[in-house]
Formats: sequence, C-alpha cells, structure tokens
Amino acid sequence: MLPHVTSSTDEELVARTVAGDADSFNQLILRWERPIYALAYRVIGRDEDARDVCQETFLRAFRALPGFKGQAKFSSWLYRIALNLCRDWIRRQRRTPIVSAPEGVDIVELASAQGPLESIEDLVARNQLSQTVSEAMLHLPEEQRTAIVLKEYHGLTFQEIADMQGCPLSTVKTRLYQGLSVLRRHLEARGMAGSRTTEKAS
Amino acid sequence: MSETLLCDDKEQLVAYLYDELDGITRRRLDEHLRVCTACAAEVQALSGVRRELADWTPPEAVLGFSIVQAAAPIAPAVRPGRWWAPAGVPAWASAAAAVLVVAAGLAIANLQIRYGADGLVISTGWMAPAASASTEPAARTGETAAGVSEASADWRTALADLESSLRDEIRSARPSEMAASSTTPSRPSDVTPQRVAEWIKQSERRQQQELALRLAQFGRDLEVQRRSDLVRINQGFGQFEGRAGAEIARQRQMLDYIMRVSAQPPPR
Repeated sequence: MLPHVTSSTDEELVARTVAGDADSFNQLILRWERPIYALAYRVIGRDEDARDVCQETFLRAFRALPGFKGQAKFSSWLYRIALNLCRDWIRRQRRTPIVSAPEGVDIVELASAQGPLESIEDLVARNQLSQTVSEAMLHLPEEQRTAIVLKEYHGLTFQEIADMQGCPLSTVKTRLYQGLSVLRRHLEARGMAGSRTTEKAS
Repeated sequence: MSETLLCDDKEQLVAYLYDELDGITRRRLDEHLRVCTACAAEVQALSGVRRELADWTPPEAVLGFSIVQAAAPIAPAVRPGRWWAPAGVPAWASAAAAVLVVAAGLAIANLQIRYGADGLVISTGWMAPAASASTEPAARTGETAAGVSEASADWRTALADLESSLRDEIRSARPSEMAASSTTPSRPSDVTPQRVAEWIKQSERRQQQELALRLAQFGRDLEVQRRSDLVRINQGFGQFEGRAGAEIARQRQMLDYIMRVSAQPPPR
C-alpha cells in the first residue's frame, strides 16, 4: 500500500506511543496520512474537507490509542475511524441543501501535481478523465462508493471490507457489482470506459 | 452448474474481476466466459471501468500533520500544535494578561480612593450644619476617613467623637438653659442628625468599598475576556491568512496552467 520507510512495525510504534513517545505516533502519521487522505478524498470528493477528516482521524486515533488493544490491524482501525468521519461528513452535507460535485476543482490541482512529465495533451485528457470518474463516483450511494474505493485503491479483501462496513460478504460483492455497473453506464454515456470507447474515439 | 446460473451469479463475477476466487471456480468461470459472449462482454466492460478508475488520483495535498507534545508525556495532556495555537503564545499572553490585571486592579484602587474623597466631600456637605456646631470632630473624622482601610478605627473614633460631642452638648445646654428658651429644643435635635449622618457616612463608605471591589472584579473579568478574545482573533487572522495564501497559490497554479495550455499549439 505504501513504502514503509522505518523498520518498526505499526504495532511497535503503537506500543511506543502508548508508553509516552509521541514521536512514534508521528511516524505512524507519516506512514498513513497519504492513504487516509486519499481514502477521505475519494469518499468525500473534496480536498479541503478530506484534509480535515484526515487530521481528525489521527487526532482521534491518538486520543483513543490507549484503548486500542490490537484486536485489529492498526491500519484497519485507522481506516474505520476515517470512514466513520467520512460518513458523518456526508450526513451533515446531506442535511444542507448544497449538492456539490467537485467540478472545476480537480483540474488545476491535478495539473500542478502532475508536473511537466506528461505532455499537455495527455495532461488535459487525463484531467478530464479524472474529473469524469470523480463525478461518476460521487453519484454512487455512499456504501457502494466506499466499497469500490477500499477495493480499488486500498486493495482490501472482500472480507476486510465486510468487517469495515459491518455487512455480510455477499453484500460487499453486490455493492461492488452495482457500483461498477453504474459507473460503466455513466462513463459509457460520456464516451469512455474500456477498450470499445478508445476504438470509437480514433 | 448450468451456464445460465453462472450468468446470474454476479457475486462470482465480481470475485472473478478482483481475482478472489479459488482455482477450481476460476477455471470454471474462465470456461464459461469462452462460450458466453454476454458475460465476457460484461467482464470486459467492467475491467474497462476499473482501468478508468485507476487513473483517478487525489490532488497532492500538503499534509504533514504532527502531534506536538506538551509538558506531560501521557496521552490526554498532549495537544496537537500545528492546527491550533502555537505552543509559545499562551505563556506570554497569560503573563501579559496578569500584568494588565494587576494594573487594572491598581487603577481601580486609585479610583476607589478618589471615590472615598468624593464621598467625603458629599458627606461634609451633609455634615455642614453639624460642623458649625462643633468643627473639631468633623475634621477628625475627615482625617480618619482618608485611611479607608481602617474602618474599625473609624468606628471607634466616630463613637468617641459622638460621645464627646454629646457631653459638650449636655455641658453647654445646662448653663444656657435659662438664656434662651427657643434654642434649647434645637440643640438635642442637632445631635441626632449628626449621629444619623455619621452612620449614613459609614454605610456609604462600606458600600463604596464594596462597589470598588466589585468594579475591580468586573474589570479583571473584562480584561481576561479581552485578552482571550484578542488571542482568538489573532489565531483567526492566522487561519485567514493561511486560507488566503492557499487561494492565491491556487490561482497562481490556475494561471500557470492556463499559460502552459495556451503556449502549446492546439492539439490535432
């Protein structure tokens, strides 16, 4: 998932943090802030709020760490905290009437992030693609989107996702299937998705 | 298992897509996909969706969170420093607040003394008829009243004054009893207002002290609140500046991007 720089395992760092060494926790943050941010970003769809969720995740994890007895992997535990916060955020968002897809926001940030390694055409195409995908993703129900994010970008197994979402294994598969099918329709309607569209484009 | 049953089993299809099938089931599905064009097309399409998904990357956010440790090493005492107040601020802020509180207290204490003096002026106004009757006690109470803290001493001297003035009254009343009949009834009535005035003055002074105390307390509360508000406003400004900075950076990026795009010849 992420190249682990230090040799200590997550569990060792957790133990050292609980013993009073906050720097060990900072190593854990360094190790996991990117994945957690990416998770929050893809589930929420907004950079600023994803950053807030990421911060809050580590803050809560740090406070709750003495109660963490290693019943799960540290990363799973962290993911669960982050997902709960994402869910809270989505619920809050739903109560307010603004329906906000991150339109126009991604393009520039992705452009700057990508740097001059890609050609401009590639870059533009990629940004458009990325934006279409993110839009399509945000149209999915939250459970389906979360399942897809956990599977596609974090490589969790069906069972791990089931544990995290608190649902049966078969539900996870159904969510993935339905989510992918909706995305497929959405992308095909915009002339994307798969090899057939590339033939059409040329 | 019949072919149609395999077609309907979308859970298995998903498991195939994500390669979470055991060997036997996988081989069976492979065979099915060779003969069932519908399922094969679906698998291909969904794999295509997965490829598109792979290109969706989150922006390169500046993260760099860290937990900053406070004095106590145990978890609950630790505060995150980065996104709240810098650790150094509260120390000098509270010191400054303390100094200001002391200054405010002194100012109000000065005020109180002046208040006391004012009160005396008023009460001497009150005392004017009594002072004309006997100037000495009034002057003495004036002196003692200046020392606000010695309330009990005040009381004692006031009582002593009262006693002596009463004795004077009685002594002077006896020889002049025959002199003028009209003045004699006025003399005892003169004494009573003086006594009452004395008591009023005393209670007035106590009230003033209490008021000053309350004022000092209020001033201190106000000052503390003001300091904390100030600190909060400072923080708010810091955050605002950070936001504005980010906005500017974003706009610069946008400009950069537009420049880059416009510099290129139009595609195709």
